[in-house]
Amino acid sequence: MIRFGIVAIVGALVPFAVPQYALTVIVAALIFGLFAMSLDLMVGYCRLFSFGHAAAYGLGAYSAGLILIHWKLPLLIGIALAVGITVLVAIPIAWICTRSTGVSFAMLTLAFAQLGYAMLFRFRDFTGGSDGIAGIPRPPGPFGMDWFQARNGYYFLVLGCLLGSYLLCRAIVRSPFGAVLAGIRENEAKTVALGYNTRAYKITTVVLSYGFGGLAGALYAGFAGYASPELFFWLTSGHVLVMVVVGGAGTLVGPILGAVFFVFLEHQLSQVTDLWPLAFGAIFMAFVLLAPQGIWGFLARVRKDSNAAA
Amino acid sequence: MDFVSFALTQCLSALSQAAILFFVACGLTLIFGIMRVVNFAHGVIFMLGAYVGYTAARISGSFIAALIVAPIVVGIAGIAFERLLLRHIYGRREGGSDLLLTFGLAVVLSELIRLAWGAQPLSLPAPEPLLGALFILGQPFPVYRVFLIALGVVAGIGVWQFLERTRAGLLIRAVSQNPEMVHALGVDVGLVRSGVFGLGCAMAALGGVLAAPLLTAFLGMGTNIVIDAFVIVIIGGMGSFLGSVIGSVLVAFVQVIGTYYFAELALAFMYLLMLAVLIVRPGGLLGKEE
Repeated sequence: MIRFGIVAIVGALVPFAVPQYALTVIVAALIFGLFAMSLDLMVGYCRLFSFGHAAAYGLGAYSAGLILIHWKLPLLIGIALAVGITVLVAIPIAWICTRSTGVSFAMLTLAFAQLGYAMLFRFRDFTGGSDGIAGIPRPPGPFGMDWFQARNGYYFLVLGCLLGSYLLCRAIVRSPFGAVLAGIRENEAKTVALGYNTRAYKITTVVLSYGFGGLAGALYAGFAGYASPELFFWLTSGHVLVMVVVGGAGTLVGPILGAVFFVFLEHQLSQVTDLWPLAFGAIFMAFVLLAPQGIWGFLARVRKDSNAAA
Repeated sequence: MDFVSFALTQCLSALSQAAILFFVACGLTLIFGIMRVVNFAHGVIFMLGAYVGYTAARISGSFIAALIVAPIVVGIAGIAFERLLLRHIYGRREGGSDLLLTFGLAVVLSELIRLAWGAQPLSLPAPEPLLGALFILGQPFPVYRVFLIALGVVAGIGVWQFLERTRAGLLIRAVSQNPEMVHALGVDVGLVRSGVFGLGCAMAALGGVLAAPLLTAFLGMGTNIVIDAFVIVIIGGMGSFLGSVIGSVLVAFVQVIGTYYFAELALAFMYLLMLAVLIVRPGGLLGKEE
């Protein structure tokens, strides 16, 4: 908890210490961090490899965008509604996808994300087709609040959402509910034999994961001011999965680090070279082969070794 | 245009599509069945086949040369990947490393292709004798697509007979059922795995060369087909050869009908088919439930 407090305080001081353009990259990194952490609930705690988590991101972003443009509701209410919509849509998806595990689960989630992608082009009048929706505002309120309209303010909103979601997710995985998830991950047959309805646990986890992913998407819509079909595309799902694995699945903090790592690396490398995707793929393969525990797992091991040596 | 001839040409068109899908899906399902590896890079390997075929045809001036050179080159590249990188993740306790490693390979390989051949689509025309059209009940139909159907049937029967009738096929089926026992009987299981991976890659490359005259060789062709191929393999049942044949035909028909009647939702129909199959049989039509 002390470490968490230090991170929160450092995070709160960041806007006053870095130039404004850097803050934009940081906000993007934190939003992706939240998105990666939401996927970690499935991947790291249930070993459910979702290859379609872009569905949660895109759903959150498009619902937030459409609500804010058409209904002109206050930003915070718009984001909350977008999360609600994502959760509602996630329930039937979770119900169907959890019928299978392993590769079939990955492909079913991918299928739903690609369905969403196809829908964007089918209902062009509503979603803008390949152009996406642009000009998403940040309407003030409720209670006349408008602090999040400025860049610094929006940073605090994103930071608050990320830290709050982290605390919530940590509480979930440390609760008795989380212990059952660990049981599913380690040995599902045994968990069933102990009398747990593992399917219900998996459905809940998938829905929670989509909910947090939807929050990340909604924050993205308010941040970028537009939502494009890219958000639903399978490459987005692939990239976020990479971030979870490189950061360290099953640690919550790791995926956030992984996302931050890749967003910054992309920002730096894409300025100097157009070989960025090549570097991205190569770094990722190196992690899978050499450090399957990810950045966070690697750091934890180093710390343990140094403690043992001391 | 009467309905019978229209339906017939649509069916033939779907069958020629199925032939190309089969070349990719068959390798994917064999690799999964024998190695338990989900090869996400299979689509990019298909794409590599098209590009290597383009270069081979440019140099030699012959489409036949492309059909021979591309599978060999890509098959060897596949074996090298299996030997150098992929085999390090066998036997990991936690699953999913295979999917992740091959996803990384897909990203790297498609970038390398972009660097080597550029971002422009490259056209690889079919050879002269296959360029024209046949008339089927008064409807024109490309000769090249008939050639694809024929080749697909030959390849399907060939692989089936190879798996059922030859000693190598016997070993492959044995390794898919119980690798430890086969190993204990003195067979080099690693060699069988490399061979199957190379064979799967070579088939995908052949599919790539065959698809190039229809689609041209372009950078997105790998991602489109790998999703189709996964859908096929899941519909048919992971690891089932016959399942990949049935799945290819089903998906090709759904794609052709979907594209004709519901242009933008054609994609959606393929997924609905997969959903329907998985709801009834979670392991796929001919697969075992996990």
